[in-house]
Amino acid sequence: MFTQSIITQFFNGFSVVAILIIAAVGLAIIFGVAGVINMAHGEFMMIGAYVAAVVDKLGGNTLLAIPVSFAVVGALGLLVERSIIRWIYHRPLETLLATWGVGIILQTIVKLIFGPELYYVGTPKFLAGGFRLIGRLPFPWYRLFLIIVAAALMALVFYVIFHTDLGLQVRAVRRNRAIASCLGIDTARVDMTIFVFGSGLAGVAGAVLAPIKSVSTTMGFPYAVDSYMVLVLGGVGNLWGVVAGASLIGEAETILSFVFNNVIGELLVFLFIVIVIRIVPKGIFGYYERR
Amino acid sequence: MASASGSVLAKTIANRSKRTIYRTPLIPRPVLVGGLFVIALIGAYPYYGTNAYVLSLLGKFLCYAIFALSIDLIWGFTGILSLGQAVYFGLGAYFIALSLKLNYALTHPTRYGGKIPDFMEWNGLTSVPHFMQPLMNLKTAVVCALIVPTLLALLFGVITFKRHIYGVYCAVITLAESLILQEFIIEYQAYTGGFNGITDYSNYVSPRFLWFILAVAIIFFLGARLLTHSKAGTVLKSIRDNDLRAEFLGYNVANYRIFVFCVSSFMAAAAGAMYAAWVGLVSFLDTGPVFSIEAVIWTAVGGRGTIVGPFVGTFLVKGAEFFLSGVLAEWWQILVGGLFIFVVLAMPDGIVGAVARWGARRRLALDNIARKDELKKYYFQLRLRSERSAQPEKEAP
Repeated sequence: MFTQSIITQFFNGFSVVAILIIAAVGLAIIFGVAGVINMAHGEFMMIGAYVAAVVDKLGGNTLLAIPVSFAVVGALGLLVERSIIRWIYHRPLETLLATWGVGIILQTIVKLIFGPELYYVGTPKFLAGGFRLIGRLPFPWYRLFLIIVAAALMALVFYVIFHTDLGLQVRAVRRNRAIASCLGIDTARVDMTIFVFGSGLAGVAGAVLAPIKSVSTTMGFPYAVDSYMVLVLGGVGNLWGVVAGASLIGEAETILSFVFNNVIGELLVFLFIVIVIRIVPKGIFGYYERR
Repeated sequence: MASASGSVLAKTIANRSKRTIYRTPLIPRPVLVGGLFVIALIGAYPYYGTNAYVLSLLGKFLCYAIFALSIDLIWGFTGILSLGQAVYFGLGAYFIALSLKLNYALTHPTRYGGKIPDFMEWNGLTSVPHFMQPLMNLKTAVVCALIVPTLLALLFGVITFKRHIYGVYCAVITLAESLILQEFIIEYQAYTGGFNGITDYSNYVSPRFLWFILAVAIIFFLGARLLTHSKAGTVLKSIRDNDLRAEFLGYNVANYRIFVFCVSSFMAAAAGAMYAAWVGLVSFLDTGPVFSIEAVIWTAVGGRGTIVGPFVGTFLVKGAEFFLSGVLAEWWQILVGGLFIFVVLAMPDGIVGAVARWGARRRLALDNIARKDELKKYYFQLRLRSERSAQPEKEAP
């Protein structure tokens, strides 16, 4: 019985991993390439979720909400980047403070517009219900959808970074900003594009997560913190680090939370992360990166 | 003749290379005067003020200011941004609050007659758990409140700084630490009061305790000034500005970081302990990252890397909150968010930094005027000399 429960939790863990990947991937490229610590990432996700809620009210579904959220939150990211972030790229710790301020402002504005009550977004009809995986183990379709979305987002980011001209520039800027600039790459433009792209991905994450979470103004912050933990564990600047960090944290947290309880689970995962970065300070994949 | 003008030249060069290195006094005079005035103003409040609410606010703000000072020590002087400094503040506060609550419950039994804190009774405990028995003694609790957070900081510092984990990573890890402590407090509500926090115990709001807090604030102020004004303080600043170079110069950067982190945590814990005894309400919010980052912003507004800054910033921002948050309601939050952005973009040195820079610029300007005068004299001499040499020499027939 216990083993079967553990296996159940293991499969449930996949959806948690998927959620973490979805939430962290946008942050990974913003943090990894542009070097900005975007504390408003959670709030960007929150706005993506609200956009999904509005789309839902207007009769659309999640599939429609994804591109709309991407556009809206991307535009918001463009606004934030052009007005604030571009002045402080060289002071990473202060981007943390400034974006924290952005987060507070966004939360308050959304609260003023939508009110403090929770919103619920329905899952799309064709994703309702679930199927049985092994034995009597239920697995909702929506979780499978989340896993597919996570894989698709990772594929998209990999494609953009490794198979487009923009990605080539991004990798060059990441490797050596000064030389890239000498070779005629407009590094400021690359930073801006990456920030907007990452923000858009945050919007997608919000839209996708809206049906499994009640949409509220404070929903984003925990995701932002989890995403940062994923990046710290997995290593910044290597996309496989996101996958590794999310897998470890997601599975460990799900199983440990089941064996003990939520808080102990999180504490153990935290200690695990601290021990790992004590051994490899740059994260699992960051450590092997060539300098 | 040549030797005389040569000495002028030598003097000018000597003066120029002196470059008037200006070493600030331990307490600059404006700070001394202003500080004494403010201390008198706060310390004498019980004599001229009648408003008990303002009195309670003063003590609260002083505790906040000490907390901001502790953040300034690590962030403003050493460049470690910790979003979990409230962990130490909150631990100190919880120890004192628990102790006071346990003692309060002895004399004020709950509704059902139990001599244990009400939140324990609600959660089905019938007696004070064993590990909490020592806290019945307030002295033990004070020692715990000061020592435990410092030891925790030491442990944390050894784990992270020894491996050169700092900057963003440190901020993220401390943030997570803070969140986990919050969840712990909420989850184990039988021992911590949970979501409601610990409240309703005999807190001390009295002039004497205000003077005590004021005295502690002054001691910490002087201590922090001594530390940062000493040679060690210079090393700390060099670590902030370029840790790699400090390392190459032979300083043990990790140990300096650990040391200042422990000092800072001790201060935060002391502030928290006094806060709990003064305010009479401790909740999980006092250990959360939001509180830490608010204190970071008070420091930034006042001026990071200065000792006066945290005090100025805390009193300004908290004072403004006191006056404005009621009027503006939700818009106050937008104002706070704007303040974060404004401080980072437009005023990275804060108020005190701006004032100090103005003073420095003025000194430099005065200095330049003096130097210009000297140069004028020098060129005058040179011209004299050239005119004389241009004149035909009379002695030579």
